[in-house]
Amino acid sequence: MIPGRVVEIENLSFYYGAQRVLNNLSCGFAGHSICAVTGPSGSGKSTLLTTINRLWEEVDGARVEGVVKVLLDNMEIDLHESKIRLAQLRRKVGMVFQIPNPLPMSIYKNLTLPLRMAGIKNRDQQRQRVERVLQDAFLWPEVKMRLQSDARLLSGGQQQRLCIARAMILEPEILLLDEPTSSLDEGAVSEIENLLLNLKERCSLIMVSHDLEQVARIADSSVELVAGSLV
Amino acid sequence: MINRSGSIFSGHTFLLLLTAGCGLLILAVLGFMVFLGRPLFTADFFNLFMSSVWAPDQHLFGILPFVCGTLAIVILSLLIAFPLSLGNAVLINLLLPQLPAKFLYRIVKLMTGIPTVIYGFVGISLLVPFLREWSASGSGMSLLSAALLLALLISPTMILVFVESFTAIPQPHLNAVAALGGNVRHKLIYTLLPGAKNGIMTGLLLAAGRALGDTMIALMVAGNATAMPESLFASVRTLTAHIALVMAADFDSTEFRTIFICGIILYLGTLILTLTLRVFNRNGSKADLERGLS
Amino acid sequence: MNRIYDFTLSLFAGVCGLLLIASVAVMLGFLVGQGGSVLGLKLIFGSTDFREIIDIILLRQVVINALWPALIGTFLLVFTALITALPLGLGVGVYLAEYAGKPAKVFFSLIFDLLAGVPSIVIGLFGFSVTIYLHSHFSDLMPCLLISGMSLALLVLPYLVRTTQSALEELPSALRVTSFALGAEKSSIILLVLLPQALPGIFSGIVLAIGRAAEDTAVIMLTGVVASAGIPRSIFDNYEALPFYIYHTASQFSNQHELQQGIGAALVLLIICTLLFTGAGLLRKKATHHFLYHSK
Repeated sequence: MIPGRVVEIENLSFYYGAQRVLNNLSCGFAGHSICAVTGPSGSGKSTLLTTINRLWEEVDGARVEGVVKVLLDNMEIDLHESKIRLAQLRRKVGMVFQIPNPLPMSIYKNLTLPLRMAGIKNRDQQRQRVERVLQDAFLWPEVKMRLQSDARLLSGGQQQRLCIARAMILEPEILLLDEPTSSLDEGAVSEIENLLLNLKERCSLIMVSHDLEQVARIADSSVELVAGSLV
Repeated sequence: MINRSGSIFSGHTFLLLLTAGCGLLILAVLGFMVFLGRPLFTADFFNLFMSSVWAPDQHLFGILPFVCGTLAIVILSLLIAFPLSLGNAVLINLLLPQLPAKFLYRIVKLMTGIPTVIYGFVGISLLVPFLREWSASGSGMSLLSAALLLALLISPTMILVFVESFTAIPQPHLNAVAALGGNVRHKLIYTLLPGAKNGIMTGLLLAAGRALGDTMIALMVAGNATAMPESLFASVRTLTAHIALVMAADFDSTEFRTIFICGIILYLGTLILTLTLRVFNRNGSKADLERGLS
Repeated sequence: MNRIYDFTLSLFAGVCGLLLIASVAVMLGFLVGQGGSVLGLKLIFGSTDFREIIDIILLRQVVINALWPALIGTFLLVFTALITALPLGLGVGVYLAEYAGKPAKVFFSLIFDLLAGVPSIVIGLFGFSVTIYLHSHFSDLMPCLLISGMSLALLVLPYLVRTTQSALEELPSALRVTSFALGAEKSSIILLVLLPQALPGIFSGIVLAIGRAAEDTAVIMLTGVVASAGIPRSIFDNYEALPFYIYHTASQFSNQHELQQGIGAALVLLIICTLLFTGAGLLRKKATHHFLYHSK
């Protein structure tokens, strides 16, 4: 793996059934920076993201060839060779989706869910972590009085910040963002962009975006995908 | 890496074993009846047990009258309940304005919650005396009284399934008929009935299953005579009632063991109905769950 | 000609509706008319004196000619059946919805559909003959509350399985994907996300099961219910139950008073079953809300 990089992809091809989505693709993503993946819709950007946390395995009929290596805890892990458990991988490689997806439960429960699923049951610790990630996501002042209310009642921008906070609560080393602002209005977009810039210190961000101005504003590097190949 | 398991039960294997265990138990219900009834399965089986005379004191153990009694009650109750249910479903889906339709639907759902034994109780108190007067012969406990009550018991199930499958017909199809100048009758004949064919079969089969499996109504109002059913006003005994009635006999007697044959026939009958149901209704009908307190 | 057909159709449907409503009205009218007047403390405890009633509830006094032992018997039956069937039903439902492959799903669904259709008297016969078989070969087991409860558990199992399974299957798939992305094991997704979301459906299954266990007569007739047993001292005792009380009265009553008691019992059972149905809707909404929004 090239020094400074946290993800290294070599000769990666991806298929849904007979359809080839990614075509013999090689690239790498640097650590503690925002790396953008751009390209027209349908070019395989989101699919590329899901090869890094292996979320594609939840899809019927999907198949992968090639090598994906990630650097976690300073150890190089070959995702297709090593015996790392899926759940562990996904706790270290968080993901935020295009459409905010708070689960149908309270704000507080949304945030503690990953903790409970990872076996962190101490209530005080849970509360501290919740407050910290909400502070980081600039959401604390807005929701501290209504932690028990339904997360789906938040505005779109708030929901997306909640989802970023939720993804950050297990302190992942890599955060995957699948067009995190494309469903939001302008005000919400700039809040999220600020938030992402702040997150660079904590983890490495890989963001799919089709908004080239946004890429110019916040990304440190970018690659462009067209029809499953790098340009 | 964090190396602790978040899993609380070991998942797949445990649940698979649990499910397989429950499945085996269900098959064991049949297996056990065959096992306990095995002294009866001799070369003479058909002569002995498929004859039409039940007289244990003369060593005659024919259960054919009960098979026929069951079939007669099931068929007759379906003949009464089917038009009744179809009429009510048409009323709810097509003819009544929204509010009364909703009211009728509520009543039907309420009926699914009435315990069987209450149907039997009211039947014995009201219907039986009425039929006794009317037919002017016998005790009033008869094939007809059981079938009438049973029809009332199984109609709600059928109506719910019919309504569900009528509702599933796309509105544009109904609009198309209406736009061509069709009225309620045309909608029924050209869209609802053909479109709901599977639903109608499902309703019929579910109702048949309930009629076949009912014990209390037959036991309470059909009279339980051991002869072949000969008329609507004849007293008859069903397989289910026979099981309930012979329970008191000595466990090792041939008389007692005949109830295992009855049980096996009922189990296999249910199996056939369930398999047939699969053909018409692949995903399981919602109304089937709603049949509730049967 | 056409108009005659149309008229006939409407007339036929109308008559069907009237017949149905009239039957229900006659049934309810009969029960309420004949039994409404006996409904009260005397029907249940055989006495209206509060001190006596308290003694009865504390098992210090035996009740004669009243519904109390049958009520308690039915309650114990439902309780036994439910604690036996609930873990099984939930487990099987979760397996079928979340783990089973297509062939296993088809096969087991068929098996549980079959069980749902098997006449309750056959289930009762199974419970009875297993008991007698065990009695003659191994132990002193006789038909009793425990046997009835377990037979009823088998009877209500398919309701619990099917409602659990379909409640889980109807959940949006986004729930699963989101949870997976948060680093969840399958089992913790099921326990922490999917089951709580499926609670309303599961609740309705439980209510169906309670109603079914409370009203069934055929199973208990074969497995240990008797006309007069008083309050059972243990789960290995005989017991009384409401539906059997009704059946027994209907076939054996010798005077007007006994018949009235029977009608009263029928009314009580009807009220219990109706309340269960209507109350369930409210209960399940509230319970789900509590589960999802109150963390402490």
